Amino acid sequence: MLERTLVQTRGFRNLGPVWNRSGFELLLRLPNYRGMRASLVDGVDVSVDDVLFPHEANHLVVQGRELSLAQLRQAFDLRWTLDEPAIVRVAKAGGLSVGVHDVTVAVRIRQPYFPIEFQPSIIRETREATIVL
Amino acid sequence: MSSDGFRYGVSLYSYTDDYGTVLTLEDAFAQIADLGATGIEILGEAHIPGYPDPYPAWIDHWHALLAQYRLEPTSYGSWLDTRLTVSRDMTVAEAVADLIRDIKLASILGFRFVRPKIGVVSIDLRPDPVWEEAVRRVLDLAAASNIVICPEIHAPTPIRHPIVERYVEFIERTGTRNFGLLIDTGIFQDRPLPYWPGETAEMRRTFLNGIHVDPQDFLPIAKYVVFIQAKFHHINRNLEDEHIPWRAVLPVLRRANYTGYLSSEYEGSREPWRSLEQVRRQHALLRRIEAELEQIDP
Repeated sequence: MLERTLVQTRGFRNLGPVWNRSGFELLLRLPNYRGMRASLVDGVDVSVDDVLFPHEANHLVVQGRELSLAQLRQAFDLRWTLDEPAIVRVAKAGGLSVGVHDVTVAVRIRQPYFPIEFQPSIIRETREATIVL
Repeated sequence: MSSDGFRYGVSLYSYTDDYGTVLTLEDAFAQIADLGATGIEILGEAHIPGYPDPYPAWIDHWHALLAQYRLEPTSYGSWLDTRLTVSRDMTVAEAVADLIRDIKLASILGFRFVRPKIGVVSIDLRPDPVWEEAVRRVLDLAAASNIVICPEIHAPTPIRHPIVERYVEFIERTGTRNFGLLIDTGIFQDRPLPYWPGETAEMRRTFLNGIHVDPQDFLPIAKYVVFIQAKFHHINRNLEDEHIPWRAVLPVLRRANYTGYLSSEYEGSREPWRSLEQVRRQHALLRRIEAELEQIDP
């Protein structure tokens, strides 16, 4: 089963070779009561220790497919399910330092049964998470 | 309980955030069966692993749990996500395909009701007009599958509203027995909900203070109602619901000879395991009121 927090403890890691980190990624539980078409997800803002990485630049990996925001918005045949966390990939030269970080996510989702004036819904959460590698 | 009283069930929606983190499907079955309830309601794209194509082994597991815990499948929630992408809406053909997919899957799993949550096109929540032609095209499949399609009447939409009139007019015009209304008891809420975490007075949408539908409004539409989601938010230790006036609602449902399901939909605080206790309190409260009503008017 998954953890209650949106950002899962496992999966928080640097990307790229040790001598040339290109960014980091984290594992995210869908903040909704139902699974969704990926096209209804409008990206994820990530902040680490108060540095913002905006949703327009971050990629999401859903069921093994890595998508830019533009690709995500068109991905109506792909589903982000409740029981499979998605990976958020963030570009950051050098990656993150080993140790504990304050990580905030703001997940943007669009629910077609709400009036469009109230969309997207933005679900925020902050937790401490630890980079090991 | 008399044989023609209400039937009691639980929607797995009640266990949102517990489900998949601290509660498995079998745990949920055990909780529901322990209430003496007979019905289990699910949301397709939430509680079926691999939706919309579960493994055959999971379908076997589902039927084995139904037999083991002596529960019957009631309503299956689906969605018509009409605002399909930021750049285009769903076509009729796509809406038909989604309804067919969910009716077939619901039927395989033994459900009798499919509740499509339909995307809206206005601030007053008018459903995308695509629903009408799409539903019309799948009525024969629903009939052959012994399934009733039932959109929900949910706050802030009251019973006396053009949307409900349109659904009733559709039933009368087509003469179908495979389309009906689902009532969410949140429409009867008559006291404000507490603020959600992070919600402020400025953010509050007024319907969360309750839209106070008069329970008597149920009577004229009762013959179209096929299912009731017993929405609630908090029941205190004295078995008092702090938002839904059950003592006003249940006598009206009895007067209308409603003998379908009251399917719990807990929508309160999401602290781990709290939903389990709240659903128990609701069943204790509803059964107590029903027993009192039977004594007064058997």
